[in-house]
Amino acid sequence: MSELTFARIDETVHATLTPPRRGYWGIVLLLFCGVLLGAGCWVYQIAVGIGVGGQNIPVAWGTYLINFVFWVGIAHSGTLISAILHLLRAGWRNPIARAAETMTVFAVCCAGLFPFIHLGRLWQVYYMLPYPNQRQLWPNFLSPLMFDVIAISTYLTVSALFWYTGLVPDLAAVRDRATGMRQKVYRVLSLGWSGAHDQWLHYSRGYLLFAALATPLVISVHSVVSWDFALGVVPGWHTTIFAPYFVAGAIHSGLAMVLTLMIPLRRIFRYEAIITVAVLENVAKTMVLTGLLVGLAYGTEYFIAWYSGNPVEWESFRWRATGEYAYGLYFMVVGNVLLPLLFLAPAVRRSLPALFSLSLVVNFGMWWERFVIIIGGVAHDFAPHAWGLYAPTIVEYGIMVGSFSLFFLLFVLFCKHLPSVSMTEMKETLAHGR
Amino acid sequence: MNRRRFLQLAGGGSVAFAAACSPESPKFLFSPPQATGDQVTGRATWYASTCRECPAGCGLIAKNREGRLIKLEGNPLHPLNRGRLCLRGQAALQALYHPDRLTTPLLKENGHWVPISRDRALSRIAARVQEAARRGEGRVRLLSEVVGESALALQRAVLGGWSSPGPTIFEPYAYETLRAANREVFGVDGLVSYRLDQADCLLGFGAEFLETWLSPVEYAWKFKTMHALRGEGKGRFVWVAPFQSLTGANADRWYGCRPGAESWVALGLLGRLLALGRGGHLPESLRRGIAQAAEAAPFPRVEQVSGIPVAHLEEIARALAAAERPLVLGAGMWQSDENGLRVNLAANLLQRVLDPGLLRIDAVNRHRVEIAAPRAEILSLLEDLAAGRVDVLFLNQVNPLFHLPPSAQAAEALSRPDTLVVALGGFLDETAAAADLVFPLAHALESWDDYNGWTPVPSCLQPAAGRFSTAPGAGEFWLAIAFPEGEKPAPDYRSFIARRLFERGLLKTASDWPRMLQQGGLFPPPGELTGAPPADPPDRLPELLRRPPPLPPEGILLAPVPSIRFFDGRGANRPWLCEIPDPLTRIAWQTPVCLHPETARAHGVETGDLLRLSGPGGGIEAPAYATETVVPGLLVHAVGQGHRAYGRYAEDRGANPLRLLSPRLEPFGGGQAGVLCRVEIHPAGGRILLARTDGSRIQHGRKLVRTVSPAELRRGLKPRKAGLTLNDFPLTLPLPEGYDPKRDFYPPHDHTEIRWGMVVDLDRCIGCAACVAACYAENNIAVVGETAVARGREMAWLEIVRYHDESRPERVYFLPMLCQHCDNAPCESVCPVYAPHHSAEGLNNQIYNRCIGTRFCSQNCPYKVRRFNWFDWSWPDPLPLQLNPDVTVRSKGVMEKCSFCIQRIKEARTKARNQKRPLREGEAIPACVQTCPTEALVFGNLMDPDSRVRRLCDDPRAYQVLGYLNTKPAVIYLKKVLEEA
Repeated sequence: MSELTFARIDETVHATLTPPRRGYWGIVLLLFCGVLLGAGCWVYQIAVGIGVGGQNIPVAWGTYLINFVFWVGIAHSGTLISAILHLLRAGWRNPIARAAETMTVFAVCCAGLFPFIHLGRLWQVYYMLPYPNQRQLWPNFLSPLMFDVIAISTYLTVSALFWYTGLVPDLAAVRDRATGMRQKVYRVLSLGWSGAHDQWLHYSRGYLLFAALATPLVISVHSVVSWDFALGVVPGWHTTIFAPYFVAGAIHSGLAMVLTLMIPLRRIFRYEAIITVAVLENVAKTMVLTGLLVGLAYGTEYFIAWYSGNPVEWESFRWRATGEYAYGLYFMVVGNVLLPLLFLAPAVRRSLPALFSLSLVVNFGMWWERFVIIIGGVAHDFAPHAWGLYAPTIVEYGIMVGSFSLFFLLFVLFCKHLPSVSMTEMKETLAHGR
Repeated sequence: MNRRRFLQLAGGGSVAFAAACSPESPKFLFSPPQATGDQVTGRATWYASTCRECPAGCGLIAKNREGRLIKLEGNPLHPLNRGRLCLRGQAALQALYHPDRLTTPLLKENGHWVPISRDRALSRIAARVQEAARRGEGRVRLLSEVVGESALALQRAVLGGWSSPGPTIFEPYAYETLRAANREVFGVDGLVSYRLDQADCLLGFGAEFLETWLSPVEYAWKFKTMHALRGEGKGRFVWVAPFQSLTGANADRWYGCRPGAESWVALGLLGRLLALGRGGHLPESLRRGIAQAAEAAPFPRVEQVSGIPVAHLEEIARALAAAERPLVLGAGMWQSDENGLRVNLAANLLQRVLDPGLLRIDAVNRHRVEIAAPRAEILSLLEDLAAGRVDVLFLNQVNPLFHLPPSAQAAEALSRPDTLVVALGGFLDETAAAADLVFPLAHALESWDDYNGWTPVPSCLQPAAGRFSTAPGAGEFWLAIAFPEGEKPAPDYRSFIARRLFERGLLKTASDWPRMLQQGGLFPPPGELTGAPPADPPDRLPELLRRPPPLPPEGILLAPVPSIRFFDGRGANRPWLCEIPDPLTRIAWQTPVCLHPETARAHGVETGDLLRLSGPGGGIEAPAYATETVVPGLLVHAVGQGHRAYGRYAEDRGANPLRLLSPRLEPFGGGQAGVLCRVEIHPAGGRILLARTDGSRIQHGRKLVRTVSPAELRRGLKPRKAGLTLNDFPLTLPLPEGYDPKRDFYPPHDHTEIRWGMVVDLDRCIGCAACVAACYAENNIAVVGETAVARGREMAWLEIVRYHDESRPERVYFLPMLCQHCDNAPCESVCPVYAPHHSAEGLNNQIYNRCIGTRFCSQNCPYKVRRFNWFDWSWPDPLPLQLNPDVTVRSKGVMEKCSFCIQRIKEARTKARNQKRPLREGEAIPACVQTCPTEALVFGNLMDPDSRVRRLCDDPRAYQVLGYLNTKPAVIYLKKVLEEA
């Protein structure tokens, strides 16, 4: 980073905020259509009934919950990178922290939609709120779904505040260079930041506080999500390993998504000097670790299923590897554990095409991991007479396309309208030399 | 805006708002008030009547709420069915309120149906009939369903008045061979009934007495009287047939026999039993005759022909010889060919050999279906039609075009332009569609009539529901059409029946008639209903048996068998019967052709592949279903579907295997010959998504169904050492005693007086699905249709799970599976809004209004008994008239499941509370328990130490399905008792 200067950082980042070209709006329009498609499918589902999806008895949870867990997983690495690595003073996280945090916020938004989409009677969702009522009905706080409501909303709140706090000095910097309407908007957004000494003092305290607050959430959110399953009796779900297993998987998938987003971002916005290959390499190295953790979890599940001597559990895992959805298991083992091991070779983790394609593979593999767990568990559980299979329908695919479109739409809008690299933290890095 | 203006606007606005908010009032919650004096809104009125869904004639009581019939239950006073109904009987309501039911007469003009008024139709028919009567004798004919005495007398009088012979009673399964055999061997020209309940060893050659044969509900309870565990032993039931059917699946032992070779086995057994010294009481001529006839079938030869090893044949013979009270039943009701006849003859002879006094044959209480004309008479009527010897043909609720093979030319005979064909009945089925005039009749549940399922026991039919249309009952129709005003034998049909009953001496005093209507019939007290064995059985060998039996046909054979769901096809338009899966294949809405996996492999076919079958009479297409319950080389296809007309649920669905037959007659009995017909199989290309309701056919060692042998029971089941695994988890009752701090984190529920529970005796369950139909009727369960069932979205709260044994796949078990109302319910803890709720009486209630549809409860239910409303399911009008007003119709997005019929419990409890007394045992029972013909289900209060359920929990056979999950289910199962368990 020797050739970086404060001015160069400013210039590079400000350059990303120049008025976009038509191609950009084309992409925005396309993604918006995708969002509309998803919204249309959802409205259709509300009007006709949840049966337009492919769920059935025994598989009453389908892609909606898969996508929910998938997006929650994606949301993890943002906070991991921005909060935990911040606390650990890992300077290499600074160039990607902003984008990763943004990814977190948007992914939680996408994730948060899915429990709503999933509900049979969305219009009665307020029953989950502990509001005072005549019949003195209270939500069931024993239900893991109530844990979810609390965990996800807390996570969304904290990560959004954390993200916004970090954004304030940069917004002020953008405000200072902007003119006209843009300036007015950024003025409001930057909350009167003037760069005064006491503001910096409060800012850094506040940022540290949020980092500290967010850190346990990284662990808790996905642990709680895993309890949606682990607290059920279903074979393949009812296991104590689920919390760490899901957290490791979430970080794994989040890191993959970071790579998926950063590599094009870096290229398009000419961030090569800021987001160096070394940064990406560090992400890839971390992924080797998380991949191995996930692999350990897969192995442990199989070992315990065999070692427990529980015929139901063992049959469930035997079927996972040989049954109708076996391909899902192989996608996940190969995609999440074996292929990321290629990152052990420096040549692979330094090659952008390899990094990018492997990151896509891991994203894909992690989606299938959720499929294997969520669908596979109940499709083949205690009562053999009730075994059944599930396949998503076109409406579900529509909603899935909608959620991906929403995520990328928000991200695309973000990179052209907000500083996608934290100038403040880059400058700190430059000043402190780490 | 001033204050006045504001108030004006606000007032107007609220009125407009309130007016706009009032939804369209829900239809059919209350029917137009045509209520009679005995009806009170909100309280049910029960009318006794008789089921006419099949010729058996079970007594029923019909539950009327606000003028609508909402439920049928068996009449507990009726000696035939003793308060029980089968699934077809339960579904009779769906014929009453069927969306395709005709209400106005239709006249065919230029090939199109034109609605005409009732009077015009009547005058038109009357004119043609008078004209025909003038032209000569026998020019008006009637093809009628099986009817009661009064109706038959009226029909005879009416036709006699038109100088024509009496009605020809058409029944697709007319038991020609059984009647011939009864005549030849018992000297009884009719269909005797069997005292199954008094037997200790039962041998069946195909008579499907638990499904369709003669009187299935009656034989179901009789069968379980002899076959259920009593003390330490139970009667034995042996089945010799080429395929199992539901009846065979309930046998202790199935000896798979080559199709068409049953007559060899029966003959061989006759010879062997004589050789074992039985039959000494027989007249010498008969005994010698039998011995001579049996010479053609020594056991080694029988083995050659039938494929049953000599050792097995010896086993059967020994079992029969050793039995104190054996009973032998003959062939299936579809077997009207020579093989069937020979089986029935030999079976009756076996009975004579084994049962000196014929004590288990009742020649007095005979089955009404004996009045059905043999197929030969039907064909000769068709010949008369084709030859133009008939001017007017009445078809009284029969559908010969569906039941006769196409080559019988019935369609051509009906379509003669100079013959007026009048179809009477509620539906536009194949035959009605070919008629010239369709005259709708009132449903049996809306009409006056009498019927006698057992010949000497009359039961009545009376209008039990508010009239659905102005269509008259059959009796009213005949009175209206045949007699001018003033010459009628009675002012109305009701008086006609009463008068007939007085004339026959059945009614004696004026008070007898209302008592008959109250009780549903004239039933002698149980002790007095004796009956008698055949008085004078002939002492010579039936002529036919002097010739050796023919060899069974070679090649791939197809058996068109009656269906427990659709009977002979008349039930195919009832949505419940379509939706409830076949007990053995577990396939709903479709009828597959069942074949042995070996046969399937030999033809390169898998379950679900579409097959093209061609036989002597034509071809059909049907999906294959591989099952070990059929012997190799045989195809079994149930009759019932494949209608070309008959309304939305039946039309163009499945195939009719009767189309494969050619209309040959078996000369001796006069039935359809060649029913076991040779077919060619060709893959038709393509597969069908079968609407299967089973996941796995086997239970993967999970012991959901458990069995025990009588020997083990005698030895006494040792109390197991309690552990925590599948095999040693103790019985944990849903009572405080079922809790153990070592296993349980939470304390027990504090039920105060009542903890409802159910006991399911697997040894008594025959898998007939009557309970399932009752559940559909009672609880407004939605019918979702073929595609939704195929996608795993059936809504049945109670299903009869079928498992094949893992090591002996031909052995089939039935497991009624419903919500287990666990004390430690996995569904309750995971719902975020407490929609599954544990009641003070231990019920696991599902609060529909509270449910938001997360479906977590279903995910977490190990029994997978919860059902989700994926859509707003609909009932086409006027089916909603049947809906039970005491049960919510669930809307989309909510979970539902078995409630133990909480509405029935509440009704009973309210009654008890009003009378200021505690609830009595047996007062509150769910619909499934009420209708179970074999009393396999018992319901009651587990907290009452004297209740039946509580006492049955102490049975050594008691266990809980998946009990080791510590869910503490309130449904306790009793192990099935199997000789070779």
